[in-house]
Amino acid sequence: MFLSRIVLRDLDSIDSPVSMASSKKVVTRDEWERKLRDVKIRKEDMNRLVMNFLVTEGFVDVAEKFRIESGTQPEIDLATITDRMEVKKAVQSGNVQEAIEKINDLNPTILDTNPQLYFHLQQQKLIELIRAGKISEALEFAQEELAPRGEENQTFLEEIEKTVALLVFEDIKNCPYGELLDVSQRLKTASEVNAAILTSQSHEKDPKLPSLLKMLLWTQNQLDEKAAYPRINDLTTAELQDPSI
Amino acid sequence: MPATASGGARPEEAAEAASAPAASCMGTRPEELTARLAASGPAAPGAGRGGSGAGAGAGGEEAEHERVRALREIKNQIIGNRTKKLLYLRLGAVPAVVAALAEPGASPAALVQAAAAAGSFACGVDDGARAVLAAGAVGHLTRLLAHHDEKVVDASARALRMIYQSKLAPKFDVNNGKNMDFVLSLLNSENENVTELAATIISHSCENSSEQLSLCSAGVLQKLVSLFGGSMNLRDACLDSVTAVIRNNREVASRFASTDHGKGFRSVVGLIHDRSPRTRLLSCLCLIALGHASPCHFLDKQIKTKLIMVLLELIEEPGQVGDEAPLALTTLIKDSLELQKQALTTNAVEKLSNHLLANSLESRRAVTILLALSELCSKLEESRSQLMSVEASTLILEGLKHDWADIRVAACSCLKNISRSPKVLSGGRLSCDTVIGPLVQLLYDSSTSVQVAALGAICNIAVNLTPKKSVLLHSGVVSQLVHLSKSMDPTLRLKSVWALRNIMFLLSPKDKDFIVKELTLSTLSSLICDSEHFVQEQTLALVHNLVDGYVDSANYVIGEDGMVMDAIARQLNNASAPGVCIQGMFVLANIAAGNEMNKEAVMNVLLPHRADRVKPSFVVNFLQSKDKQLRVATLWCLLNLIYPKCEASSGRVVRLQNAGVIIQVKSMINDPCLDCKLRVRMVLEHCVDNADDCFM
Repeated sequence: MFLSRIVLRDLDSIDSPVSMASSKKVVTRDEWERKLRDVKIRKEDMNRLVMNFLVTEGFVDVAEKFRIESGTQPEIDLATITDRMEVKKAVQSGNVQEAIEKINDLNPTILDTNPQLYFHLQQQKLIELIRAGKISEALEFAQEELAPRGEENQTFLEEIEKTVALLVFEDIKNCPYGELLDVSQRLKTASEVNAAILTSQSHEKDPKLPSLLKMLLWTQNQLDEKAAYPRINDLTTAELQDPSI
Repeated sequence: MPATASGGARPEEAAEAASAPAASCMGTRPEELTARLAASGPAAPGAGRGGSGAGAGAGGEEAEHERVRALREIKNQIIGNRTKKLLYLRLGAVPAVVAALAEPGASPAALVQAAAAAGSFACGVDDGARAVLAAGAVGHLTRLLAHHDEKVVDASARALRMIYQSKLAPKFDVNNGKNMDFVLSLLNSENENVTELAATIISHSCENSSEQLSLCSAGVLQKLVSLFGGSMNLRDACLDSVTAVIRNNREVASRFASTDHGKGFRSVVGLIHDRSPRTRLLSCLCLIALGHASPCHFLDKQIKTKLIMVLLELIEEPGQVGDEAPLALTTLIKDSLELQKQALTTNAVEKLSNHLLANSLESRRAVTILLALSELCSKLEESRSQLMSVEASTLILEGLKHDWADIRVAACSCLKNISRSPKVLSGGRLSCDTVIGPLVQLLYDSSTSVQVAALGAICNIAVNLTPKKSVLLHSGVVSQLVHLSKSMDPTLRLKSVWALRNIMFLLSPKDKDFIVKELTLSTLSSLICDSEHFVQEQTLALVHNLVDGYVDSANYVIGEDGMVMDAIARQLNNASAPGVCIQGMFVLANIAAGNEMNKEAVMNVLLPHRADRVKPSFVVNFLQSKDKQLRVATLWCLLNLIYPKCEASSGRVVRLQNAGVIIQVKSMINDPCLDCKLRVRMVLEHCVDNADDCFM
């Protein structure tokens, strides 16, 4: 958040001359770097951003190392990350029942207050049964567990229909709803689970760093209309590129 | 190091997880599980101990293990699953689960599983909540909040929170000193699950002003505000509680706004810019409640403008927050012309319409957005014309035919408020077949609330003065309105009569005749004597419009053996509600403006020819009424009776004089109401004129 505020403040200061002249204001590299040097960013804030990223994404070992090396305290108990990652891993490897039980052990209110997530887990369970070729089991599960959810919710019903349609096709990988069997479907469900657990732990479900980078790009785009300045084009290197005039 | 400490606890869970497959081998059918749980219940270990001394310890442990497994399995089956909850309820599993909470020697593992299962039973299924409450879970769980094992405390607090979120849970009487101490002790807990529980109990339990006042006096509001610094979920729960404590309570709200120089108030204001959308919404709701409870403490226009902007932004959020934001906006701007103007300047109509267009109608959000748009159009002409000019107006018409009743109601509500605009009405854009057709169809809807909403829109559109009124008249609407006027539901009767009244307004004699034939005079008479006074009043207003303008139309009332006139006379003599009397007198005044026969008919209602004159005429009572409208209506009626100057009029003056009416009028020469004063003088002048006439 603070990075973008700094850039916006600069934007303000060069705004007025531009509105008078029709051409863009040019900021040289020297001038720009001088301005950047004037901006004081606390090391601790940077570290907290990094820690927030590691915690949210679930890199527990790295977070632990980073905690020791930088002295930055994580926002939540690192042990809870391990639990969360185990749940995520279970979904990603298709062990949906195991994931459900782990979620319930972590916090039994998550799935009771989040019907959509519960449905998606049940749907994933059905997908896994179909993938494993357990057709009669899949049918029984669809009838007993999923059908009642469809009666409660129209959107769920449509999703159930799509999933059950997988049973009709011989070559399920290439059928119209084949993407349900894709790894991406597991990842989608896993990330939904991850977000719900984070929310239940009072933690934001997205790390701050990526949105900060999005804000940087947005601000540069805004600035482009008013000035030519050394721009960051490659986010991986964050190198300043001289303005092309 | 916290990481190792909690890390150390993990193997235990791993062991539990590992034992899960074993449990599944033992059968996981609900019937078996319930039976197993009942068998391993309180009686079982006792029996074990009574057996051989050596095997008792191992047997008890085995039984406990078995019970934990059964409880965990049941918990995992029911969480999130309504069907399973109902199934276990039928099998009578709840008492067995709750019994596990009550057992003195229960292991922490068993308590954690039982608490989670009990909490889940109470969530989302009313019968489940009822069963959990009946089994006495609240008492056991409350006791467990003091358990030495933190995991048991967490599980119990969570379960209690689920229970207190059900509307079936009993209110917690905070006026009882002991209970208040308990709530305060929960609020002061180090455990966030417990403080969150306290916030939930407060939100659930304070409904009347004495409870709110007690909580406020005990310093609960300050405590809740101090907890805003905790985790996101705790903060949200506390915000919700603050709102519950100040809602509709002027004294508490003003105390909150002024305590500590408004520190609490400022904290809430600060949260409307929080990172979490849910927190932003809840803080807006809190400030809205504060503004409604104590308007004098919330005059800052800037904050109100900010609230509007924040709420408009929140509509973009996915899920519940985005769904509820338009409702919060509706509550904020309700009945306030000033705020509706402000909302308009922040492009609220445009923003809401764009959302409506971008999303499908098939959502709760569409309903709440339509309701917000409707509110925006309730007072401001500009909002109405803006809404009519965007594509959203087409969507509103689509909404009328939507499968979902809530959407149909919301669309009708929009149309009702748009059609408050004389400009839109006279433009005739609403009186065409594309609008009237679907609206009339909705009068046949299976949902009463849809019918009522459609009637509201038809009422307003019917006021239309343009020749297009005939579109409405011949759309089949009249026969259905007549049908609804005989409904068992009083609101439907009221609104349908109201619509007929508005259609009747300034109608040609031919069209009036059409309506009367559909309605029939006998229905009209029975509606005048309806059980509800608001229906009586509306029916008399309908008769008022019927006899207005054309002398001949009075025949409907005095003709056919005077059936309608008799009904009116009955209501006036019974001294019904003031509104009924006023409309009745206006009807009589209109009829009295007609020919001699009409005037005589009215005279006979006012002063019936009867031998026994024990009861004084209701006219005198009406003239003495505190309601100036009733006095004016009565004076108009008298005036029409003795005008113009003629022999018959003189005769009526004499009759009125004999009944003590004129003396009463004379006493009103200085009536505080100017309109009355003027009519009094006119009546008296005509009396003198007519008297001269008599003597000459």
